[in-house]
Amino acid sequence: MPATQQSMQDDQEKLLDEAVQAVKVQSFQMKRCLDKNKLMDALKHASNTLGELRTSMLSPKSYYELYMAISDELHYLEIYLTDEFAKGRKVADLYELVQYAGNIIPRLYLLITVGVVYVKSFSQSRRDILKDLVEMCRGVQHPLRGLFLRNYLLQCTRNVLPDDGEVTEEGTTGDINDSVDFVLLNFAEMNKLWVRMQHQGHSRDREKREKERQELRILVGTNLVRLSQLEGVNVDKYTQVVLPGILDQAVNCRDSLAQEYLMECIIQVFPDEFHLQTLNSFLRACAELHQNVNVKNIIIALIDRLALFAHREDGPGIPADIKLFDVFSQQVASVIQSRQEMPSEDVVSLQVSLINLAMKCYPDRIDYVDKVLETTLEIFNKMNLEHMATSSAVSKELMRLLKIPVDIYNNILTVLQLQHFHPLFEYFDYESRKIMSSYMLGNTLDNNTVIKAQEQVDAVLKLVSTLIQDQPDQPSEDPDPEDFAEEQNLVGRFIHMLHSEDPDQQYMILNTARKHFGAGGNQRIRFTLPPLVFAAYQLAFRYKESSSVDEKWEKKCQKIFSFAHQTISALIKAELAELPLRLFLQGALAAGEIGFENHETVAYEFMSQAFSLYEDEISDSKAQLSAITLIIGTFERSKCFSEENHEPLRTQCALAASKLLKKADQCRAVGTCAQLFWSGRSSDKNGEEIQDEKRVMECLKKALKIANQCMDSSLQVQLFIEILNRYIYFHEKQNEAVTVQVLNQLIQKVQDDLPNLEACEEAELIKKHFHNTLEHLRVRKESSEADGAAYDGLLL
Amino acid sequence: MSFFGFGQSAEIDIVLNDAETKKKVEHKTEDGKKDKYFLFYDGETVSGKVNVTLKNPGKRFEHQGIKIEFIGQIELYYDRGNHHEFVSLVKDLARPGELTQSQTFDFEFTHVEKPYESYTGQNVKLRYFLRATISRRLNDITKEMDIVVHTLSTYPELNSSIKMEVGIEDCLHIEFEYNKSKYHLKDVIVGKIYFLLVRIKIKHMEIDIIKRETTGTGPNVYHENDTIAKYEIMDGAPVRGESIPIRLFLAGYEMTPTMRDINKKFSVRYYLNLVLIDEEERRYFKQQEITLWRKGDIVRKSMSHQAAIASQRFEGSATAEKALAQAKEDSN
Repeated sequence: MPATQQSMQDDQEKLLDEAVQAVKVQSFQMKRCLDKNKLMDALKHASNTLGELRTSMLSPKSYYELYMAISDELHYLEIYLTDEFAKGRKVADLYELVQYAGNIIPRLYLLITVGVVYVKSFSQSRRDILKDLVEMCRGVQHPLRGLFLRNYLLQCTRNVLPDDGEVTEEGTTGDINDSVDFVLLNFAEMNKLWVRMQHQGHSRDREKREKERQELRILVGTNLVRLSQLEGVNVDKYTQVVLPGILDQAVNCRDSLAQEYLMECIIQVFPDEFHLQTLNSFLRACAELHQNVNVKNIIIALIDRLALFAHREDGPGIPADIKLFDVFSQQVASVIQSRQEMPSEDVVSLQVSLINLAMKCYPDRIDYVDKVLETTLEIFNKMNLEHMATSSAVSKELMRLLKIPVDIYNNILTVLQLQHFHPLFEYFDYESRKIMSSYMLGNTLDNNTVIKAQEQVDAVLKLVSTLIQDQPDQPSEDPDPEDFAEEQNLVGRFIHMLHSEDPDQQYMILNTARKHFGAGGNQRIRFTLPPLVFAAYQLAFRYKESSSVDEKWEKKCQKIFSFAHQTISALIKAELAELPLRLFLQGALAAGEIGFENHETVAYEFMSQAFSLYEDEISDSKAQLSAITLIIGTFERSKCFSEENHEPLRTQCALAASKLLKKADQCRAVGTCAQLFWSGRSSDKNGEEIQDEKRVMECLKKALKIANQCMDSSLQVQLFIEILNRYIYFHEKQNEAVTVQVLNQLIQKVQDDLPNLEACEEAELIKKHFHNTLEHLRVRKESSEADGAAYDGLLL
Repeated sequence: MSFFGFGQSAEIDIVLNDAETKKKVEHKTEDGKKDKYFLFYDGETVSGKVNVTLKNPGKRFEHQGIKIEFIGQIELYYDRGNHHEFVSLVKDLARPGELTQSQTFDFEFTHVEKPYESYTGQNVKLRYFLRATISRRLNDITKEMDIVVHTLSTYPELNSSIKMEVGIEDCLHIEFEYNKSKYHLKDVIVGKIYFLLVRIKIKHMEIDIIKRETTGTGPNVYHENDTIAKYEIMDGAPVRGESIPIRLFLAGYEMTPTMRDINKKFSVRYYLNLVLIDEEERRYFKQQEITLWRKGDIVRKSMSHQAAIASQRFEGSATAEKALAQAKEDSN
């Protein structure tokens, strides 16, 4: 096909070229005759020139070029005649004379040219001539030729149309009404011709024809531009005459291409103030348009324009008497009603622009936004839609719709006030609900929206329940772990936005949240319950702060801890161990610190729970070591235990430490236990450290013993050095049992073993560690006066 | 005019009385050329002088009498020998006798009846002329002077529009209307064409003015058709419901008043032929006779008045348009 296309194009160029050449020759003759004042001959040449426009061979584009060339020449003639007439050289019967041209195309072009000269020169005839020109053009029914002829008429008359506020000579005829009639008639005829193009020629050329029509549409639109430029077309005239005229044409032509263009043209060409006064009729017309017309785009264009107008700072805003939203709402509904075949995504798109309108023009009217959602919901109900696939257009549109209030309000609490938000939400499929839920939570976090009331918490969590609980429609396969973690982390972060200034309210909030999150299943609760536990601990601290005003604070604290206990237990049920262990330990610390009535029992319970988790659930040796280290550490920090409770716990720690599987682990854990016997505190001694020298030494010696049993020599040296460091620590803490001799012994031992190590990176690290240790001792020794520890006799 | 080179000879010259001011009009002669002739109307007196100028002053000039005739006659080209005179008036200017010097004779045909318009056609000619004759023994001396007669009509009392619905079943259905049936020669035909049904691809539409000259009688009737004007009034294919304006100025075309059965010798009639041409160059047409008549001269008017005349349109009384408008409303 490209070959024939190319040749067609060549043909066009050739034809155009020939025509333009002929125009040049004839118009040259015309000008020569004019110079010699031979008007009749000049007109004959003008007519010959115009004869070129009778062709049927040119494409619209080429025809346009030819038209432009010729209209330039006619302009010359027009100016000549106007000048002649102004000089008083009037040619009698000129308007009649040009009508003898036998062919209608040249005749009408000449008639228009001369007609305009008459209008300019003899203003008494203006009304008659304008009317005559626009009527006589009916003779050209060929779409392309007719469109250009009428365009010529429109161009030539643009400065002579009667208008309000013009300065005229006496006797001038014609007023604004004549102009409106003139342009409206011309518009109607041009539109008919333009529409008719569609129905000519082969149906296989349909696409080409539509393309050509698109190229020509501006000719039709110029009529509307002209109307909008008339001073005299004010709101009243527009409402009563102009718009009804245009709409009548637009609706009755039943051509989707024309309708789409014209409606958009109306919106763009006329001022917003006019649109505001004619909303109903314009939108009613929209409902009557061809089913193929994308009404959505038209209405959206109008809404967007008006929304912009309402928003403009220098503008007057929307007049109070115009219920912009109500009008749009009603008319959009009837448009949808009238177009059963309208795709549901387009229906939603319309609602999107309605919401935009409501948001922009009436930012305070949440009810308007809700009204849109309600309408949308009703439509969905009628359509019997089930969960919409995320990939579907309607789902995308609905998401756009629902994101608008989220984005504009930037406050999920305001969104919650929209009664119909949540029901609409339910039309999404699982995937979309998830996306949308994450979006809303993200928005809440970004804006630091604090959710202060239990009911709100309940509502929000119900709304985003897709992230919180398993869904009947969720896919059977597990989600990507990373994505899942990210999503649940978001939920976890969100929990910190649940905050009431009133502790009691906060407690209720936590309970509500707990109910929701508790049902989240094993995968989710590990992300969601821990923040909740921390929030509970935090709340307990707040109660303590308010102890002076709240008599029942201790009871409440107790309740909180049992809440936390319960919550942590839920995690245990989910076959988690390390996480609940940590949470228990954290709870024990918190309880100890808050010190409410019964706190010791609570702390003990939490500690013992941690212990039993350690014993029953943690089997991996590494995990065991880190768990016991944590337990020891936590216990060491606790001050709330009486000796009665402290003793079994620390013994339990030592026991657990010594029961570890690997020698190295045992060694380290036992070494750590030594701390318990030194800086551990029980409430009996008023929080003083125990400083049980004997037990400390026992632990350290035991550690040494275990280290000795270690087979791996480099590991063994490493353990020795670590133990040495512990000795040094206690020496510095002035544990009398740790003597310089003990240190010397150990140093000697290490020094003996070190050279035997194989040279490797690890050995280097060990050496460095040792070296640093000795260096520390050296420094301490040199400044030994500063602290009480004695370093005499230390061999370095 | 001397045959033998001796004797006396004379020349005749006819001079109309008001020759200086008398209006002259162009008229086509048989050979197609145009000349200017004095214009007369029916009932107008024809008066003037006949100048007889002697070639040899001082010599006697003998004659058998001098007369002047006013003749209106019809010449049929196929019958050259027979001239049908429908007017023949004679005035004797001098009894037989002698002239001794050049002499002028006054003459006057009072209120001459000139019933027909001068006409030069394809097959027939109607002419008026004055003929002065000096009768002589051997050869008469004559001089003719053609004049042109225009027949003025009064404004027709009954001048209804021409309205007609025509068509081809299920194919094309139109109604056309011309504002009058009788037009004066400088008139303008305005009208409209309504398309009631269009199922053919029309390319364009034109109006022709056809002159039909009929001569002879009985079996020897001769028709001569001549297309005076071809005037395109529509370009492209209309659809149902369109109405196309017609406006055709007659002044620019050479036409005569309609002549019906002039002296039982000939007729000149005019027809409007509405022609639609489709894309296959088929022609659909309808002829309607119109009557042309001559009206007295139009007074000059102002430019805007001229424009008003030149922009007149026929708003139409046709029922079709109303019917269509109604149909349109109903369908909405």
